[in-house]
Amino acid sequence: MKKQLAFYIDAKRCIGCFTCAMACKNQYHQESGVIWRDVYELKEEIYPHRERAFYSLACNHCENPTCLNVCPVVAYYKREADGVVVHEQEKCIGCGNCIRSCPYGAPRYNPVLKRAEKCSFCWQRLDDDRKPACVLSCPTDALQIVDLAEFDEANAVQYPAGFPRYPSLNPSVRFRLPAMPKMIRRKL
Amino acid sequence: MSQMELPLVIFTVLSQTAVGLVAISAIRQHAADGPAGSVRPEWMTAALLLIAGLVASLFHLGHPLGAPLAIKHLGRAWLSREALGIGVFTALVIVGFLTARGRVNAGLSFAAAAVGLIALFFTGMTYSPPGFPALNNVLPFVFFLLTAAMVGAGFAAYFTPAEKMPMITRILAVSLIVGLVVYLVVPFLWLSGGTVMRQTGLNYISSPLYWARIIVGLVVPLMAIWRMRTVAAWVPVLVLAGEIMGRIAFFLLAVHASANMGGIY
Repeated sequence: MKKQLAFYIDAKRCIGCFTCAMACKNQYHQESGVIWRDVYELKEEIYPHRERAFYSLACNHCENPTCLNVCPVVAYYKREADGVVVHEQEKCIGCGNCIRSCPYGAPRYNPVLKRAEKCSFCWQRLDDDRKPACVLSCPTDALQIVDLAEFDEANAVQYPAGFPRYPSLNPSVRFRLPAMPKMIRRKL
Repeated sequence: MSQMELPLVIFTVLSQTAVGLVAISAIRQHAADGPAGSVRPEWMTAALLLIAGLVASLFHLGHPLGAPLAIKHLGRAWLSREALGIGVFTALVIVGFLTARGRVNAGLSFAAAAVGLIALFFTGMTYSPPGFPALNNVLPFVFFLLTAAMVGAGFAAYFTPAEKMPMITRILAVSLIVGLVVYLVVPFLWLSGGTVMRQTGLNYISSPLYWARIIVGLVVPLMAIWRMRTVAAWVPVLVLAGEIMGRIAFFLLAVHASANMGGIY
């Protein structure tokens, strides 16, 4: 397998602090309402304790990215070296096809530039041997960057409950499931 | 989609009407005995519908001047194929209109109809993205084919001689019956899908727009045809209004997969 960078979301460690999302915002200063990384709380139907389990999600830099496949002006490309999916915003004509097509909601519409945009995996930082801003900022190491060609974590899953399953896209993301909290009750 | 997307509503409905109009015109002229009808005005109408649709589609783009670049990704992007298909179809329709002398050349008529149907298939694939589980299948193509059959047949009635009105009336009636069944059944089938597909079905069933579309665009025209045994002049207008409402519902009521992140899929 070729090198494929991926986000590893350790939901057991994530405390839902949104630092990753804020770091992304601080790095790129997106327009209001344009969000590249967001933190989603698991609903009670999946995890019975409210506001205790989260997924920090952005673009999954899929092996077979639908954004790239549907873009009529070839504004996306996938880097050979690390599998990062890059959007060349200056080529975008703002048709919104990638926004409609991505089931993970990664590409967003920038109402000021009238073009799509999405998480870049901080490829400029990667090329400078630095971690993406979101990964670097995580205070609990719940968000990490891994190479799927070498990744060997037995407890990792690709499609946990609460995350859409699209094998044809093969999203480059892995999760560790959240643990149930230890319940401590006072004896009556 | 979850937005009204009016430019796309106008573009898709008008272009599909033109496809239906041209296909039915080809059949009426060359596959049925008798007078051809008002062919030149019919093809001019199809050309004007296509041009109006294409102009409307530009308003959907953030950068309309980049529209010609939309055919750059023919190898993979259905939208590029759609742009090329509609472009070629428009060119054929304009040539048909300009060269029509009583009838449009049979080869050109059927070639235009075939290209139009292929373009319609491309449009169907463009609007069945993974992001919308309820539409990530053959349904958009079926919906668009029904638009072509229903509104195309309705508009074709304006250009059809009295001798061939029974044929057009039958085509429109059958299309409306099929449309009624499909549009009544599909939202209820969505209820048996996953969370997002089910929510799309619920959105449809609880939407006054959906029911207005069923009544205005399908039930009333069908009753009118049943009562009058022909296509009254106001019937195609109602069918078109129904299709526009239906297309707004298509864009507005479908739920995106990412809307349920963190919940059961």
